[in-house]
Amino acid sequence: MHFLFLVTVLVYLAASIFQALYLAIGERTETSTLRPRIAQIAFWGTCLGFVLLTLFIILWWSRQGHFPMKHWTDSTAFFAWAITLIYLIVMRVPQLRAIGGLVIPGAFITILISYSFSRNTSALPENLETYWLVPHITLIFLAYAIFFTAFGFGVLYLIAEKSIREKKHTVFHNLLPSLGASDELGYRCTILGLILLSIGIMIGVVLKQYIEGVNLNWLDAHVFFTVVTWFIYVVHISFRQLWGWRGRKAAYSEIVGFIAVLWTYVGVKLFLDSAHTFR
Amino acid sequence: MNQIVSIGTSHHVAPVEFREKLAFSEEQLIESLHHLRESYKVDEAVILSTCNRVEVYGVANSLRTAESPVKILLDFLSNYHRISVDTLKKWSYRHHNLDTIQHLFRVTSSLDSMVVGESQILGQVKDAYDFSRSAGGAGAILNRLFAKAFSVGKRIRSETTIASGAVSISYAAVELAKKIFNTLEDKTVAIIGAGEMSELTAKHLVTNGVSKVIVANRTYERAVKIAEKFKGVPVAYEEDLNFLIDADIVISSTDAPHYLIERKPLTEIMKKRKHRYMFLIDIAVPRDIEPDVSKINHAFLYNIDDLEAVVASNLKERKQEAVRAEQIVSEEAKRFHDQLQILEVNPTIKALHQQFQQIAETELQVCLDCTTLSDTQEVAVASMTQAIVKKLLHHPVENLRHAVNDGNADHGQYVHALQELFALDDNNDKEQE
Repeated sequence: MHFLFLVTVLVYLAASIFQALYLAIGERTETSTLRPRIAQIAFWGTCLGFVLLTLFIILWWSRQGHFPMKHWTDSTAFFAWAITLIYLIVMRVPQLRAIGGLVIPGAFITILISYSFSRNTSALPENLETYWLVPHITLIFLAYAIFFTAFGFGVLYLIAEKSIREKKHTVFHNLLPSLGASDELGYRCTILGLILLSIGIMIGVVLKQYIEGVNLNWLDAHVFFTVVTWFIYVVHISFRQLWGWRGRKAAYSEIVGFIAVLWTYVGVKLFLDSAHTFR
Repeated sequence: MNQIVSIGTSHHVAPVEFREKLAFSEEQLIESLHHLRESYKVDEAVILSTCNRVEVYGVANSLRTAESPVKILLDFLSNYHRISVDTLKKWSYRHHNLDTIQHLFRVTSSLDSMVVGESQILGQVKDAYDFSRSAGGAGAILNRLFAKAFSVGKRIRSETTIASGAVSISYAAVELAKKIFNTLEDKTVAIIGAGEMSELTAKHLVTNGVSKVIVANRTYERAVKIAEKFKGVPVAYEEDLNFLIDADIVISSTDAPHYLIERKPLTEIMKKRKHRYMFLIDIAVPRDIEPDVSKINHAFLYNIDDLEAVVASNLKERKQEAVRAEQIVSEEAKRFHDQLQILEVNPTIKALHQQFQQIAETELQVCLDCTTLSDTQEVAVASMTQAIVKKLLHHPVENLRHAVNDGNADHGQYVHALQELFALDDNNDKEQE
């Protein structure tokens, strides 16, 4: 089990290196013959990592006896899994492959965090043993992973726009998706993420109010910032619909949105007290 | 031995005034190929005649012709086009064996072209080769050579980036448009003014998917006339620029002495088009578009200098890649040359083996017929004769192969000597036929 996870971490490391390399070496260098090979290794490395991680999560789930979402070590592993899944879907469009150079290293970092926490099986607090917990957590983490991808497209957009505006043809300029593509994909990811996040939050509310019969504390730090995050994305989408917020502004709000996600997910757990924290 | 030789002239060594004198029309080609074979004893020939180069490739057997094959081609061109040999020598290059192979590979790889990486030359050489083959010019050796040259040309283009990156202003504009828009399919291009460059750019954009062309001109009649070329929509030019609301790509090339598109009115237009991206290309001198336009969000402005800078940087990239391409060409040429030489000596080696084998078998039979040996003894004697044949031939064959691999030694003389000494010539010729 431990060994499987170690191998997964190493495969992810290798895949991230090759993904980043693919983006960094650009189209026109003396390494251009290597590029297709690097792209291939990056892709199959990512696939292998994904398979290993899936296997690990399933094994860990069956050993725990309940959905593995209680500890950081579990949720980060799932987060990395979701990021990879979304990358594998997105990369089917060749023009968008460059996103791997950003999101796969991101997945590697989360999986490394997961690895560095100690792993021990323990039962969930009794009040949380319900099937509704699974979709609640799964949907929210899927949403986070999609927001992370949107963040990646936002960053790619800003880099590409800068190079076009400054008329500087940076090394990897030729690999970046077109401005239109980054913008469109970032937006689609945002919408999809928002839908999943909304459903996830609703399930959480229902879980608290009707199944546990407890009033939800809206001022609980985690709940509060999740709603703030949700609100940021709602504003982003409304502005785009109403005033044509696209391009740079959209890219910035995708980045700000993900910072909010990070704060809700990591910051709150580290610095604030919340009912959602089970360390 | 067979020699592959070539003589040619190109834009690198001769002005057009000379190149045009050497050019061949199709009829002349048929006549010349026939001539080369019949009167000049050249076994195989391919003639390439384009606007930038005229080249004759030939294969001749040095044993059958008194003169050097290069001299034969030189004489042929000199006689055919009535140019003195000295003038011809001055304005042409002549290659021999490995150099010929390398030169042809460089040509098909477009390393010898005016614009490195251009794609036309591969097709031109293919046409020339096909023509010469159907006219009975190319044979076994040139068939191999040209097939290899085409594959090297393709390899260079796929493994290096000498053919990527736009090297003309109009293509650079198309490439930039592709980096801005997700797709060009549903986009509209507006041309303001007239001019070859703007029309060419619009044409390239249309072939890359742009669906609608708007043509604006001060006089509506002119606009109609230009619009006909693209099945475009003519509009009369208006100061308020409202005709640009639907335009995603704007190409401006008028001779107006002042800015036509200024920041303020365009900002209004951008609002009206809900801030969809606009790519503005200003190829007019003096400029038509106020430079500050590039500060508008989602408006990207490139003027003629910017596009030229893109082209220059692409050309620089191609030149750097060309160094790598040259290496590949040299390796491929060397390998092909070696293969060809091995092929040249192979029939001789085979004939030598056959002759020895035949003698051994005949003698063995004679010996066995007049003696009585046990079965095991027979086998022993038979294998002994085999061993003798093998050992006798070992050194000559090895040394012959060494002579081939070692570029300096003349394996042709060895082959010639072997054929004479062992009277292999007849067998060998039969086999080749």
